[in-house]
Amino acid sequence: MVTKLAEKQQSSPSTGGKSATKWIMTLLSSSIGQKFVMGITGLLLCGFLVVHLAGNLLVYVGAEAYNGYADKLHSMMLLPVAETGLFLLLFAHIALAIKLTRDNQQARHISYQEPQSKIEEKPSLFSQTPMGNTSGWMFISGSIILAFLVIHMIDMKLHWNPGVDYSIETPEGVVEAKPYSIMVQVLGSFTAPFYIVGTIVLGFHLSHGFSSAFQSLGLNHPKYTPLIKKLAILFAFVIAAGFASLPIWGFFIH
Amino acid sequence: MSETLDLTLKVWRQPGPDASGRYVEYKLTEISTHMSFLEMLDVLNEQLNEKGEEMIAFDHDCREGICGACSLMINGQAHGPDSGTTTCQLHMRRFKNGDTIVIEPWRARAFPVVRDLVVDRGAFDRIVQEGGFISANTGSAPDANSVPIPAPVQETAMDAAACIGCGACVAACKNASAMLFVSAKVSHLSTLPQGKPERDSRVQGMVAQMDLEGFGNCTNTEECQAACPAEISVSNIARLNREFLRAQLCSKE
Repeated sequence: MVTKLAEKQQSSPSTGGKSATKWIMTLLSSSIGQKFVMGITGLLLCGFLVVHLAGNLLVYVGAEAYNGYADKLHSMMLLPVAETGLFLLLFAHIALAIKLTRDNQQARHISYQEPQSKIEEKPSLFSQTPMGNTSGWMFISGSIILAFLVIHMIDMKLHWNPGVDYSIETPEGVVEAKPYSIMVQVLGSFTAPFYIVGTIVLGFHLSHGFSSAFQSLGLNHPKYTPLIKKLAILFAFVIAAGFASLPIWGFFIH
Repeated sequence: MSETLDLTLKVWRQPGPDASGRYVEYKLTEISTHMSFLEMLDVLNEQLNEKGEEMIAFDHDCREGICGACSLMINGQAHGPDSGTTTCQLHMRRFKNGDTIVIEPWRARAFPVVRDLVVDRGAFDRIVQEGGFISANTGSAPDANSVPIPAPVQETAMDAAACIGCGACVAACKNASAMLFVSAKVSHLSTLPQGKPERDSRVQGMVAQMDLEGFGNCTNTEECQAACPAEISVSNIARLNREFLRAQLCSKE
């Protein structure tokens, strides 16, 4: 073993080391490196959720506030750049999730008859549900959220929802409907139930994902880990309740 | 208490690494509750031997819970229902009369079945060969306190050193991930001054070998921690992740 290590040390010149990019490839191709990327992209997407929820909650202030915010946001020069970044984050998160899930399935090619958990105190309320441990459910919940996002994009970005009038006729001609009007129409259309399902499933996803990201990034300490775990539940609840309140509100105003 | 149990066992039988396996049912009567789980299997094997049947192969060595050889999945739980316990330290008083007990080998692509309930855990040895050691010759025992190590650091290292390498973490993980094992070895050595010189090459080598062996990835279910007979904490996995990132960013390799 000593000679093996000595060979290793000799084989790498002490001045140069690995080439500038090779270590990044080693990091990203390793199991731990991929978990870092999952964690970082996940947390950054959590950041987006906070901003997105804050913006959307303006509907409760009124149509003017909501339209004002939306118009200002859409007129920003750098918005396409931010949107591209957001898409790349989502793409990395999903692509890696598929790869890691496949790896994990291959790592146990023969399953047990009836595997049973040995965890006595379940870490969260959610893991006591019939779905079992939330992390075992991450790929399924993630897939449901992705399906919801596709519907959400069709409604809000592509403007393909047949139940929504995206343009209105005015004396000056046909103009695009205001964001507030589109939102209220979408929440009254047949896709509204998907918004409730999608956002609640998102809450379950976050209840494991948020605290899990810190652990994957190596941030675990008796001082703050219990806090992070509680915060994850609170965060998941606030995000899910906040977003799910919108379609419920939409149901009542129609 | 001189109670006895009548049990039905469903045991995975597989004649060889490439042979196909199946569950075989055995009836056992008048099993003493004082027996350990492995003693119960010994009784069954004696009966099989008398009948001229092939005995059930299972790993065991010290039968004191310290060697890490025994390795059974009992009713879907690694080392059976008790926490912080190896299979050899599990006693039949934990079961009820008339119970059906399903006994399976560890299931992981990286732990191929050798025969019946015996799996090849050579993957762990190969991971340790990639850095789970200290190559500096430390000579004879040094004077006490000549190498000052703060008590909390000592405790962390000793807690991690409790790992017996049985593989229950891999068996219990839904992804068959070896992260708890590797993190225990890395934490044990890298937190102590004697392990510092090889701190970076150790974590890099061991993680690379872990990935090469085909273990799954950690998804933080914490099942490994619950199944571990040495009660290794998942906080070691976070340390492994930190050590790995540190090595990637700071070492010359």
